[in-house]
Parts: sequence; structure tokens; C-alpha cells
Amino acid sequence: MADDLVLEMRDIRKEFPGVVANDGVSFDVRRGEVHALLGENGAGKSTLMNILYGLYRPDGGEIVLKGKAVSFSSAREAIEAGIGMVHQHFMLIPVMTVAENIVLGTEPVKGGVFLDESAADKRVTEMAKSFKFAVDPDALVEDISVGQQQRVEIMKALYRNADLLILDEPTAVLTPQEAEDLFEILRGLQREGFSIIFISHKLNEVLEIADRITVLRRGKTIETVPREGATEESLARAMVGRDVLLRVEKEPAKPGDVLLEVRDLHVRDDRDIEKVRGLSFDVRAGEIVGIAGVDGNGQTELIDALTGLQKIESGTATIAGRELVHATARDALDAGVGHIPEDRQRRGLVLEFSIAENIALHDYAEPPDARFGWLFPGRMISRARTLIREFDVRGGGPLTRAGGLSGGNQQKVIAAREIARDPKVLIAAQPTRGLDVGAIEYLHRRLVTERDEGRAILLVSLELEEILSLSDRILVIYEGEIVGEHTGDVSEQQIGLEMLGGREKTAA
Amino acid sequence: MTAPGQSPSPPAPPEPEFGDPGTLAARLAIKQRAGGIVVPIITVVLAIFISILVVAATEHSFHTSLLAFQEIFRGTGLNWIVHPTTNLQTSIPAYNLSQTLLQTSTLILTGLAVAFAFRCGMFNIGGQGQYLVGLLVANWIGVSFAGMNPLAHVLFAMVGGTLAAAAYAGIAGVLKATVGAHEVISTIMLNWIAYWTASWLLGVGGPLQDSSNPTSPVSKQVVPGARLPDFWGNQGFQGVHIGFFIALSCVVVFYVLINRTTLGYEVRAVGFNPDAAAYGGINVKKNLIRAMAISGAFAGLAGAIDMLGGTTNYQFGQLDIPFSQVGFIGIAVALLGRNTAVGTLLAAFLFGALLYGSFHGLGASSVIDPSLATNLTYIIQGLIVLFIGADVLILSVWNSRKKLRWRWGSKTVGAST
Amino acid sequence: MGKQDRWGLDVSTWAARLENPISARLRDPATTGYLGIVLGAFAAFIAIPPIEARTITWPTLVGLVAIALGIWTVTRGRRRLGWGAVASGLLGIGLGILATRSSAGNLNSAFDATLVAQTLGFATPLVFAAMGGIFSERSGVVNIGLEGMMLMGAFWGVYGADKGGSWVVGLLLAAGVGGVTALVYAFFAIQLRADQIVGGTAINFLAVGITGFFFVLLYNNSPIPNGVSLLPNVHIPGLPGFLGDSIGDLNILTWASFALVILAFLVLFKTTIGLRIRACGEHPRAADTVGINVYAIRYACVTLSGVLAAIGGMYLSEGPLGNGFFQFNMTNGRGFIALAAVIFGNWRPFGAFWAAILFGFADALALKLQVYSDSASTLFHVLPYVLTLVAVAGVIGRTVAPAADGKPYSKQ
Repeated sequence: MADDLVLEMRDIRKEFPGVVANDGVSFDVRRGEVHALLGENGAGKSTLMNILYGLYRPDGGEIVLKGKAVSFSSAREAIEAGIGMVHQHFMLIPVMTVAENIVLGTEPVKGGVFLDESAADKRVTEMAKSFKFAVDPDALVEDISVGQQQRVEIMKALYRNADLLILDEPTAVLTPQEAEDLFEILRGLQREGFSIIFISHKLNEVLEIADRITVLRRGKTIETVPREGATEESLARAMVGRDVLLRVEKEPAKPGDVLLEVRDLHVRDDRDIEKVRGLSFDVRAGEIVGIAGVDGNGQTELIDALTGLQKIESGTATIAGRELVHATARDALDAGVGHIPEDRQRRGLVLEFSIAENIALHDYAEPPDARFGWLFPGRMISRARTLIREFDVRGGGPLTRAGGLSGGNQQKVIAAREIARDPKVLIAAQPTRGLDVGAIEYLHRRLVTERDEGRAILLVSLELEEILSLSDRILVIYEGEIVGEHTGDVSEQQIGLEMLGGREKTAA
Repeated sequence: MTAPGQSPSPPAPPEPEFGDPGTLAARLAIKQRAGGIVVPIITVVLAIFISILVVAATEHSFHTSLLAFQEIFRGTGLNWIVHPTTNLQTSIPAYNLSQTLLQTSTLILTGLAVAFAFRCGMFNIGGQGQYLVGLLVANWIGVSFAGMNPLAHVLFAMVGGTLAAAAYAGIAGVLKATVGAHEVISTIMLNWIAYWTASWLLGVGGPLQDSSNPTSPVSKQVVPGARLPDFWGNQGFQGVHIGFFIALSCVVVFYVLINRTTLGYEVRAVGFNPDAAAYGGINVKKNLIRAMAISGAFAGLAGAIDMLGGTTNYQFGQLDIPFSQVGFIGIAVALLGRNTAVGTLLAAFLFGALLYGSFHGLGASSVIDPSLATNLTYIIQGLIVLFIGADVLILSVWNSRKKLRWRWGSKTVGAST
Repeated sequence: MGKQDRWGLDVSTWAARLENPISARLRDPATTGYLGIVLGAFAAFIAIPPIEARTITWPTLVGLVAIALGIWTVTRGRRRLGWGAVASGLLGIGLGILATRSSAGNLNSAFDATLVAQTLGFATPLVFAAMGGIFSERSGVVNIGLEGMMLMGAFWGVYGADKGGSWVVGLLLAAGVGGVTALVYAFFAIQLRADQIVGGTAINFLAVGITGFFFVLLYNNSPIPNGVSLLPNVHIPGLPGFLGDSIGDLNILTWASFALVILAFLVLFKTTIGLRIRACGEHPRAADTVGINVYAIRYACVTLSGVLAAIGGMYLSEGPLGNGFFQFNMTNGRGFIALAAVIFGNWRPFGAFWAAILFGFADALALKLQVYSDSASTLFHVLPYVLTLVAVAGVIGRTVAPAADGKPYSKQ
């Protein structure tokens, strides 16, 4: 059996400052199989593959490719060894043609220096025919669909004689029909003897295409199972695990008036794709509503619409009776929305500003910070000092540059700013991403406190535990729609299933 | 761009940002924090040192080179401190110092212009064109309306020049805010449009040309009633006019605007992080336009003051640095001064001294060929700007090295599946 | 399947476009838009020699057609192109009317065959610098320092011709100095990842200083000695009238510039190295992952841009206009016009070439008109800059820079 293995990764270890991405991961791939790597965000799948592809150096462990121990220091070496990777973010040049993108770097020449376009076209067409793809070699990449672009990426790997393909979340950007087409292609490749590693977090697809499935959680290998016998439930259980949850102590919620009302909301993103497809929900005063879902299912666009940073295509969003119509960020702020953004360094803070200046970010133009355009830094500083004390921000005083604080303290500054404005609705997006346990604990307790003060809190997070621990009500979002609503105790497996596109099994 | 039925393209990958802390303003701010005043001083010293070597090599004598730089120093008038006197007619150091101060006041303003735009994340290379606009509008107002109350006339001319230049710079701001046109390109084009328009205005038969002198492209003289009074020396002998104080007060205005007003707060926020600024409710587009306009206002004021105090008329095409390059030198001033009020003041003084000292100090002496002096100044200036451009990054990479490795690593891990 | 327009016709490539039936092509707003712009220019052209219509009816009529086409284009969705056609039509009518009001004698002496020669002559240094700029920017490095590199070529070209006894030596020296200057810039921009605009500005300052300094040192600020070997003209004997006056006696560099444009096009769009250069400018990480050495390519392209810009600058001093004289700050903004030509030409060699011709035409016309009308002369001097401003504002189509232009690249 061993000489059937085309790849073996043993005990791989990779650390980054503050986090162990891969903690003794082992897995192998047989020739001609489709092997799925399954896990949540942050489980370590991408890191593992980046190590295989030569983009990272492992801190420990070894890789055996086709019987030989290898160690790659660049993507080029991995390519030469026959590994091809299709990244989640394509490495394609939009303004060039399909053929040009595929042959780049190993172009066919005529007359010594000239690019032999017809030869390139011919080779591409031949390859496409033999693998039953349908691509036009002369089409510009920016003009073809995403599914076709992905096929071009695959062809890039095949053109360089890869026999082990790694596909990183390939269906994340595809429509269901395109995903089906992709699976057809993968099966075809499989028959030709290619081996495929398929990284995903979508249970149903993994069960459809994979021969074996390896589940990673928090940097460790949990199990490797063959497809036969695996079910969505068993996989979900392995992915989500039975770790002890950090449950916050809280009293049951006492919901009051509806402060946030969303009706049939449709929002498009910057690329004009509809990401929110008819959402309707309410959040009342004194309750925490958690939205669970995998990244990219419309959460970002929903928040942008509620905070005035993105246009509402159709439908309504009403804050305490005030409807957001063609709202700007300023309008949303005035309506009483507080927002702890998911990217604190890009959206939430001006790192070059002091803590005091950051705290004033929304209200710098109002008294007491300013009057008739004149700033009063002294008042900003004293207000900051009070908040720093109240929120236990460590690492500096009001005049400390925000960029010099740790992540947790930066987040506290943002929370302080938002909460001090006395918002009616507080939106917290990924509030504890990248934070240490102490900061996480603090923020969780704080959110509960604010809930008890009568605010309506909307929590959007990719961390299932956080949602389960904090929320009074849980909504599950999938592909822009609410697919599940739960109150009271609900199992993680259940939520996990819905998050991952699984279907609720009727009680048997 | 996508036909119905096609799914659109996936988003571009998040670039791991090695050595690029984001906006231009942020990068320059890192420089400011790390090293404060020390690094600009080192930059200047290094540039001067290299220039000494260049002169030494071409004159084949180190001694001559040092003598040359001594002449530059004498030319600045800084040696006035040893024999302070107020009599400009008899004391050469006093005279030199007075002229240095004159040169400095122009550079303060053009430097502030570039600095203000930089604070908002924009590179205003158009200072020269805006200076010209201010100069010409002030000239036009100063020449017309003879018989007006002198104070009103002077104010009118200054304000006119300033506003005109602000509007001129505002064009670039509007282009950037509406269609995203890069301000470097638009301001460069505007520079040359101003240049050629000036050529026409002052050309033979042009509207602003002095018809009593029909063959030379000189503007008319500003009427005596509209001239800025001198406070040191007298007008006939090129005394120092109160424009110097106006420039100094602009330094204060700059500081106050940037640090003590809501306008300054918005400008700085947009310069450092437009995303966060938008999130905070700030109107980014409005601020881009506003910042460019204020930037142009400073440069235009420089032109207006020069017209009303220094020269009172203007000859097109003259290659004297004081007129044809001050806008560009303002770039070096702002960069060296790290876009701060005090820094710009000091850097302006340095360049003013360098300029006048080499022009008239070295230029008037016989240590080395006088015309070499001007060009030496350009070389020093170029070296300073070159080193500034580089050391900003060297230091930021150094500072951010540890942070970046973590950030990139966790960015990929956190954003991964 | 490639790009389709709203009538379902394949418009992904020009070849496909040409295969569409004519009626379809006329409906295509891109066609009507460009046609409108051309007609607007033609409206002005009618009023000048050789056609020299003396009434305003014809220019006005043609101009109106241009405006109509422009409005049609706007309503069919291509707003910017349409408004460009309207503007062109208006401009054409205006210029046509102006021309009909000047005397026929003036027009005839302004618009003669030598205008063509002068246009090509003025365009030559621009073409060289612009081709250099295209290579640099296509590889992803903005080059604001073209002005300085041209200036270096202007001085060191004359110096080399003088001390070396022949214009060939001058050419080699100019190219060498230009290359070295660009290499310095490349080091700061690529290796140290300094801000490229600041770096380019520094190069411009340095060039003014260095050329001025050595001009004084070596020549005492006075004109270079007479009899310096100049860049020779290429005399084509026996050409009839108009042809003879226009292209019969062009400088060797002018002919070289034509070849350069063709060469640049071939290299950038028909060779493998050109493909890689463009990849570096669009998506350096993608290029890196397929094994292309982004740094090396950028270094090479920036250095090439310096060489070409310097050769173009040499034309100023050593060509028929310069007659072997150097002046302080001789380039006087031409490097920036070259940059404008690159942008106006959408970073394509032929586009920049035609832009350079247009700008050269403006310069030549400005020179000729100076005798008659100063304001008209200034108008044409200003024209290149105004046009570029308009182009940058996106009124005439969209200018699309290479995607990674100006962003320093760092491996891993």
C-alpha cells in the first residue's frame, strides 16, 4: 500500500508569533485519489498546503513526495517537482488572454525571441480538449466567468506537468452549477491518474467528491476517514469538536422594543454581486442576536449596509424607528448605530492617531471635543482618560499612538469609543479575532453588560463557540439568506451543519 | 462588465504588505517618530559631505572645496551673529542675512504648501504653478486699482492671489476626488499650463505686460501704494519686508490648522487611513479637495508676497532660482521638515541659507567659479530628496520588521480556511 | 466566449469586430464615438491648407455631424467617448472658424511642408523618452525622472561628441550616462522600495545640478565650441515637392524613432520577454509564482528607459534644433510631455507615438504662429498639457495604467 502513496506529510509543525498553525499534522495522499482536507477557519489547512507548495518553511516534520524526502524553498521548486496549486485568490492577469496566462514563464518560441502565439493556442486547445474543458484561448481573463478562470488556473498547473493538484477552497467562488462542472473535471483528471488535494469546509461537496477525508481542527489532525461511512454529522462533530466552551455567565435576556428591524434586505458588494439576498430579522433591546456563518456568506455586506458604508439595493433597515435611506456613515452614526468592525486596523482605528484622537473619531466635530471647528485636545484627552480607566486599556495613556497597543487593547479602545456614544444598536463583527484569552473574556463580559443596559446587540462572528456562548438568539446565514433560527440550547453540530450548507435531517 | 448568467470575478488577493505601512502619510509619519530630528540632520550632513567631495574632486583640491563651503556660509549671513548691526548698507553679513530671510520666507510658504497636501496623503508637485498664479494675480491687482487705500489694496492683492492659487490647486483636488486622477500628473500638467499662460500674459503685447518696455516680457510695476512695507532696511535697497512675518505667522496657522481644528483632524485622518476616516463619518472626497485648495493657497500667498514686497514686477523666463524653482524646492523643504510646522520652518531656513549663500556668497567670491554655485545647490537638494525618499523606507522596514512578519503570517492564517 | 456587445455580436477582438456586418459596426457606439472625434479634427482640417476652404460652412457642417455622432454615442452608453466626440466637434468648428478668419497668406506660410518636418523633429525626443517610459511603467515602475534623464543625455551627448570627435561617441556617452542615472533611480525604487515619485523628483533635481555644474566646469557656461559633430540628417535625393520638403531631410534619430516604435511594439507584444515584462507590471506576484525574476526585469526596463530618454535628450542639443549647443535646464519640461504622451497613448507604443506626433505638431505650430499671433502660439504650447489633463480625467476613454504600476514589489 505504501508505494501507492504519492505524498506523505509527517508531523508537520508550523508556528507564527502567537499561534501554532500546524501542530504535528500528518496526512498522506494516494495516487489517483481525491483527498479532502476539511476544517474550520483557522484550522491550519492553508498553512499546511502553503508549506507543501514551498511558500512556507515548516518548523518541524518532513515531506515525502513520490518516495523521496523533499523540502521546497520556493513555489518554482514545488512546480518542478510536479505539484500544482490553484489558489483561492487566482494568480491570473486579467488583461491577458487565457493562453498567455497559461504559458507565462514557459512560453513556446519561434525565431528565438518571438512568442509563438499559434503554438500556444494550439497547445492550450489540445489540453482543453483532452481534459474536456471548454475554454477559448484568445479570450481575456477578465472577460470570462469565474468558473472558467478557475479552469485556466488548473490548466496552468497541468501545462507545467503537475501530477498532484492542490485546490484551495475551489467552490468558494462558484455557483452550484459551476461546482458540478468542476467535479466532473476532477473526476476526469482522477481517471487520468492525477492526485488531488481538495481543501474545503463545505461538508456536502466533500462527501460528493472525495475518496478520503482528513479533518483538521486547531492545527491538529483529528481523523482521516474514507468517504464510505462518513456522514455530514460525523464530519461536523469531528470539525467542531467537544472542547470546553468558554461560556459567559449571563442571566436570561429580557428583550424589550425592537431597535433594529431588517426587512427583505438586498445588498450588493463592490463587484456588484448580490451578497445579501432578502434578509429579514429583528433585534430587540436587551438581547444579543448572533449571526453564525462561514466567511463570505454576506455578513460583511450586511454590516456595511447597516453602518452606511454600502448601499442598500432594496428592502429596509430601521434603527429605533428611523429608516436608513441612502444612508451615509454619518447618518448611521446619528441614527444610533455603534460598530465594532472586524478589521480593527483598517477600519476601526487610525493607527497613527493617539488613543484620545481615535476615541474621538466619530464625534471630533461635536462638543465637548470641538466647537465651531476648533478642537479642544484637552477635553479629548480627559475623556479618553476616563474611558481608558473604565475599559481597563493597558499599554499606554491617552497620548499613546494606537498602533503601539496590543490587539486586545486596541479592540478595547474601539469598544470604549462605540459604547461611550450610547448607541441603540451595537454591531460587533469578529470582536475577538486575534485576541488573547483575557481580552476575549473582557469583551464578552462587556457585551453582556451592554445588553443588560438595554442595547440591542448584533454579534457577527466566524467563531461558533463565541456565538453559542454569547447569543440569546442565533441566526445562521448561508449564501445571503437566513437558513436557521434558534433560541435556547442548541447543539453545535446542528449549527455547524447549517453553517456549512448541510440540510437539517428530519428526526428519524 | 459581466453578462447575465456569468458569475463575476473573485476579489483580488490581500497583498501581504511588506515594508509598506499603507499610505504615504503613514510612511512619512513613521519616519517622524523614529529618529525625530536626528535623521534629517544626518541626511543633510551626508548630502553636504558628498557635495564637498564632488567639489574637491573637480577642483582637485580639498582645501578649495572647504573654502567654497566657507564662502557659502559667509553668504548666508549667519556670521552676522558675531557682529550684530542693523545697518544694511554697511554691514555685509547683515545684508546677507536679510536676503537669506527673504528667501526663507518664500520657501516657508511653498514648503508649507507641499507639507499640507502630504498630510492629507497627496503629493502636490504643483507648487510652482500655484506660486505663479498667486504672483500674477497679485501683480494684476497691484497694478490696477491705483489710488485705493494702501492697506486695503495690499490685502486685496494678497487675498486675490491666494484664492486664485487655491482654486487652481483645487482643480487637481476635484479631479482626484471625482475621477480618481492622480494628483501628481494633474499638478505637473497644471504647472506647465500656468507657465505658458504666464508666457502669454507677459509676452509682447500681452495683457499684463509693461507696455513701456515693449520688447521684454516684463510685467507692469505694482503701484507704490500696494507694496508691502519693509521693517529692516529700506525699500530702495531691497530691505526685508513684512512678508517675512506673514510667512512666520503662516507657520503658526499651519500648526493650528493641522492640530487644533476639526479640519486638521479630518485632513490627518484621511491622510493616514481613508477607510477608517470614512467609517468615522468623515467625507473623504471633500477633504481631498479642501486639502489641495489650502495647499495651493499657501503657495499662492508666497507668490503674492514676493510680488508685493520683493520684486514688484516679474520677468518671464528668468532662470533665477528664486522665481523659477521655489515651488520645487518647497518639495525638498517639506520632505526634510517631515511635513511638520517647525520642521518646515527649519528646513526652509536651511534651504534659504543654502540658496542665497551659494548664489551670492560663493557666487560673489572667487574661490570657485560662481556659476558652479547654483548648480551645487541643485545637487545638494537632489541628494537630500533622494536620501529622504530612501531613508523613509529603510527605517520603516526596520521598525516594522518584527510586526510585519507576525502580521503577514497571521493574516494568511486568520484569513485562511 | 469572448466579450459581447448588447446586440450579441462578438467584440472580444478587433478581428472579430471587423467580421461583423457593416450595419452592426455602425451601430457600435465605439465606432461612432471614434468617428465623431476624427470628424471633429477633420472639421478644423478643412479650413487649413491644402484644402483651405474659405467659408465657415464646411467646417461647421462637418463639426455638427461630429457633435451629432457624439450625442448618439452618449445615448448608446459610451458616455465618455461620446462627450469626447462632442468636444472634438466643437473644437473643430472653433478652430475652423479661426482659420477662415486669418489671411490666406498666413495660413499658407504656416501650413506648409516644413510643418511636417518640424512636427517630426519636435516629436523625436518625445518618442524616445516615451518609449523608455513605456518600458519602465509596463514593468511596474513609475518614471517621473524622464526629464532628468533626458537632460543628462542632452549635456553628455554634446560633451562626448566634442571630446570624442564624433557624434557616435556622444551617442554612446549619452546612452551610458542615461543608463547609469536610471540605474541609481532603479536601485532606490526597486531595492529600497522608496517612494517612486519622490525618487523621480530627486533625479530631476540632481540632473539639473549635475549637468549645470559640469557645463560650467568644463565649458565655462558658454556655448559649446562650434564645429562639434552633430547628429547627421538623412538626405533623400530626388523627392518631389511636398515629400521632399517634409521628409527629405530628416535627422537620423527621427528615422531611428520610427524604427524604435515598431521595435518597442514588437518586443512588448510579440515576444516572450515582452509578455513577462507586462506580467510584472500587472500582477508581479503571479509572475513570481511562475518563476519570473521580477526584480531583474524591472531593473532592466528602468535602465532601458534611462538610455532611451538620454538619447532623446541628446537630440535636443545635438540635433538640427540644438546645433551643438547646450543650455542650462535645456529640456524645460519635455520629459513631462513625454510622460503625458505615455499616458495619453494608454501605455502602448503606437498610441504614445501618435500622442508625441500630436504634441510635436502643437509645438511646431506654436513656433510658426509666434510670428503672427502670440496668443495662438501660447494656446498650442498649452495644448499637450490640457489634453493630458483631459485624458487623465477620463473624458476620452479610460486610461488604464498597468495594474501594479508604482507599487514596490517584495518577494514573500
